[in-house]
Amino acid sequence: MSDSGDSDVAWTYYKDRPEWNDVTPVPEDEGPNLVVVIAHSEKFVDVYDYFRAVLQNNEKSERALHLTKDAVELNPANYTVWQYRRDLLKALGTDLRSELDYVELVIKNSPKNYQVWHHRRVLVEWLQDPSQELELTGDALMQDPKNYHAWQHRQWAIKTFGLYEKEMDFVDNLITDDVRNNSAWNQRYFIVNNHLGWSDLNVQREICYTLEKIKFIKNNESAWNYLKGVLIHDKRGLSGNAVVTSFCEELYKNKCRSPYLLAFIIDICDEAIKKGETNCLHNATRAVELCQALATKYDKIRSKYWNYMCEKFKKAQQEEENNKEKAANMDE
Amino acid sequence: MNHEENKIMAHRQHVKYFMRFLNILPSSLSSHDTTRVTIAYFSVSGLDVLGAISSVSLDLRTRIIEWIYRLQVHPDKNNGDMSMCGFQGSSTINIDLDPPNNHYRCGHLAMTYTGLCILLAMGDDLSRVNRKALVAGVKALQTEEGNFAATLSGCESDMRFVYCAACVSYILNDWSGFNIEKATDYIIKSIGYDYGIAQCPELESHGGTTFCALATLSLTNQLHKLSEQQVEGLKRWLLFRQVDGFQGRPNKPVDTCYSFWVGASLKILDMLQYSNYGANRRYVYETQDTVVGGFSKWPDTCTDPMHTYLGLAGLSLIGESGLLEIEPTLNITKRAYEHLKSLHAKWDNEDLHVL
Ligand SMILES: [Zn+2]
Repeated sequence: MSDSGDSDVAWTYYKDRPEWNDVTPVPEDEGPNLVVVIAHSEKFVDVYDYFRAVLQNNEKSERALHLTKDAVELNPANYTVWQYRRDLLKALGTDLRSELDYVELVIKNSPKNYQVWHHRRVLVEWLQDPSQELELTGDALMQDPKNYHAWQHRQWAIKTFGLYEKEMDFVDNLITDDVRNNSAWNQRYFIVNNHLGWSDLNVQREICYTLEKIKFIKNNESAWNYLKGVLIHDKRGLSGNAVVTSFCEELYKNKCRSPYLLAFIIDICDEAIKKGETNCLHNATRAVELCQALATKYDKIRSKYWNYMCEKFKKAQQEEENNKEKAANMDE
Repeated sequence: MNHEENKIMAHRQHVKYFMRFLNILPSSLSSHDTTRVTIAYFSVSGLDVLGAISSVSLDLRTRIIEWIYRLQVHPDKNNGDMSMCGFQGSSTINIDLDPPNNHYRCGHLAMTYTGLCILLAMGDDLSRVNRKALVAGVKALQTEEGNFAATLSGCESDMRFVYCAACVSYILNDWSGFNIEKATDYIIKSIGYDYGIAQCPELESHGGTTFCALATLSLTNQLHKLSEQQVEGLKRWLLFRQVDGFQGRPNKPVDTCYSFWVGASLKILDMLQYSNYGANRRYVYETQDTVVGGFSKWPDTCTDPMHTYLGLAGLSLIGESGLLEIEPTLNITKRAYEHLKSLHAKWDNEDLHVL
């Protein structure tokens, strides 16, 4: 937030306020070595000179509370001012509900500031009242659906107070708005993981949901990552879910060459090799082919990586062929 | 902007750019008032990576070192309490306070870490650092969960400060304030279903916090605690962040700073060579201001010292000529790192003499 400086005409400096003339301002002591000096406005200097005085005197008063408001307005990232404000709220027995309203306003102006969200969290903890948190974070996420601070606060409130009930609807809406919203997919995982649980039924339902979204937009890393995340909870693994494997092969047959699809099939092959359960579709030879296709055609920016993966699979391919030979020799 | 011209490093302009920030900043940067040390760190380390540390005059060098030492919080004179020890980020609250308010004058982990980096880059021998006190200050900030808070007085705790605490412990060569087992546990719990690492458990994987986590595991020699699947998953997740430059999360725009955060993470896993240097380099250069110096996060937007330093550091990782090599874990130049190693050897010797 920038310093409003001289723009507001009605501003009176603290040093010119009669009700403050009992306080001696404490200037910042920069010492003799001036580096990285900020050319603060006169207003900034004035407010912080009085803040230092109040802190030094340990003054707990309404006027001090008001002063902290001016101080955080000039710099909402000053964690010391926020902490002193909390001390004041406690000492004065201030109505914390009005403080909630106040910090909501500050959050609206500085939605990506760590200190304001921390202040909010402490207030909610004190009040043990999370009833406004979903709406507050919901509003912030309307402005920016990927605001990390808002998601962090939301997850904290949901987890601490068990507010899972309507969260799936919220996430559904966000994914419908933007199927590439990775934060929303992450939240989906959070809800299933903490609330709904990974029962066979839920795993299957999440898989169907995700496949629908992939059908809609195939080149979406967020959905593919979520699919892999869900399959962590499928006892049959990546390669054992027939719905998933046939979906992928169908896409492949229909000429889809999204790097995420090809990478996914490679991972299925990898798992099949590790489990010793390769088949005609999922084996080292296929993985080698796919890595080469990615390296040369479909994901050129990562060609070095796909070549690196390819080398790994070539080793496995060699073993596969050796085994085939052995089996053939035995048949003879 | 002429794009041909923009492929060349505006070396001289960047030196001037950092020099300006070391002197005076406009009032529009008032919101950085409590974190001025980090601006100094980006500027000093930036000059260092540009190979221009010698263009810092002796007078300025002395001023910077003295300024940093003045921000060191010393043990409580009355009871010897060291829990608030560390470096402050500025002189905003650099005043004498009596109990019960003395805890307000306390170190901040990010400032302690970047303050020490500045001293190292300036060639200081850290002899005026109260090592024991700083370590006690680190110890006071680790939470039950294993992560760290930034300061004693009312701050959030997350992966960023795990990293800062690890750097401080590494630089001071003393891990007694850092419970490695707990921190490792926290890091592993913060690995997502996509194998990226988040600010805290279950939050969305993020390039910056993945760096913090991996660098911490590397500094604490705990990388082996990751399973093969986790390591392979991390390699994939990190390499998939490359679009031309790097993004911090899937489906987010590319940003210059991730050429360092993601690049250094890949370097720690010995995988950077599998990324596409040409595209990475081209993107970072597109965000260069060749006229007044500096880099921004996106092309044709405002430059800032952080993106300027991280842009240069990201280029250094991929071997850009004319730049000094970066030590990816501590995020300082190899030159500064070698200086640190010589200090460690000296301290080891001193300890032997005491015995
Ligand atoms: Zn950035």
